Amino acid sequence: METGGTVRIEVEKSILQSADEAAGAIRALLSERKIYSLNLISSPGSGKTTLIEALLVRFEGKGRVAVVEGDIETDIDAERIRKHGVQVRQINTRSSCHIQPSRLLSVLREMDLSQTRLLLVENVGNLVCPAEISLGEDARVVLLSVTEGDEKPLKYPLVFKTSDILVVTKTDLLPHVTFDVERVRRAARAANPAVEIFEVSAATGKGMSVLLDRIEALLAAKTG
Amino acid sequence: MHELGIANEILDAALFEADRHAAKKVTSILLRVGVLRAIEPGNLSFLFEHIARGTPAEGARLEIVEEPVRVECAACGVSEVRTFTPDCPRCKGSGVTVTGGDSLSVLSLDIDV
Repeated sequence: METGGTVRIEVEKSILQSADEAAGAIRALLSERKIYSLNLISSPGSGKTTLIEALLVRFEGKGRVAVVEGDIETDIDAERIRKHGVQVRQINTRSSCHIQPSRLLSVLREMDLSQTRLLLVENVGNLVCPAEISLGEDARVVLLSVTEGDEKPLKYPLVFKTSDILVVTKTDLLPHVTFDVERVRRAARAANPAVEIFEVSAATGKGMSVLLDRIEALLAAKTG
Repeated sequence: MHELGIANEILDAALFEADRHAAKKVTSILLRVGVLRAIEPGNLSFLFEHIARGTPAEGARLEIVEEPVRVECAACGVSEVRTFTPDCPRCKGSGVTVTGGDSLSVLSLDIDV
């Protein structure tokens, strides 16, 4: 076999480099406009849209919020958010299981962000792909509902390693399910010692104000 | 199937480098993949083979160097495990921090020039 013409070239480059570059461009755009952004990640049905709605109520009259919804199909979530009277865009990712930063960047360039202080990006509902890609966010929020099981940080460590905030949702259902909150806390902290953990129930409101206060403080720290 | 997006990125990176080096053909691509990336090598190779057809990387072999999850234990020092666990594999202590295992890099390419 002829192998004379074969040479090895060293590359040593992150496969996600082009995605990282797009994320950097988003970060620059948001910094320039002093906008604080959250990338919300969870399984389908853990409460991302509900948390966004709670944030919209909290920030009503305190500065504009813009929302970008990511789903494989439909604009059901965007319609739900639009009722709150805020600027919202839907990204349908079709064959992709996460929002690509290049796509988010072009959507942000089309939006009027002149009054925006807070950008909420709801990623496609799964714990695998969105964890791989930065959207240039200030904070990554992973939500885990108590009905999903307390082993999720062990099964999907990357999303817990890369998230700044963990929100355990639907805690009003704890009496009805087997879910060890301490087990989740311990595994999440092992994946990321700096993670901030909140336990909330949107149904009863328990824990919500603590979480919303914290997000408001983080936003104020960036935008003044 | 999140391997499809990753296969596309690998192909892009390989074709970019191949072009820069005036390669006729890419025969092999060496990758470093962290266990935390949850990538199934067989699935990745299958998808790559499909999307590389008709490009200079057609038929290129993907070779994967697996990067283990690296954890640092506050009690007994650094150790390596193959899967993520919140307890130290050596001393069973719980003061464990994950410090590596999420690489996703093209290390080198073999090309015909």
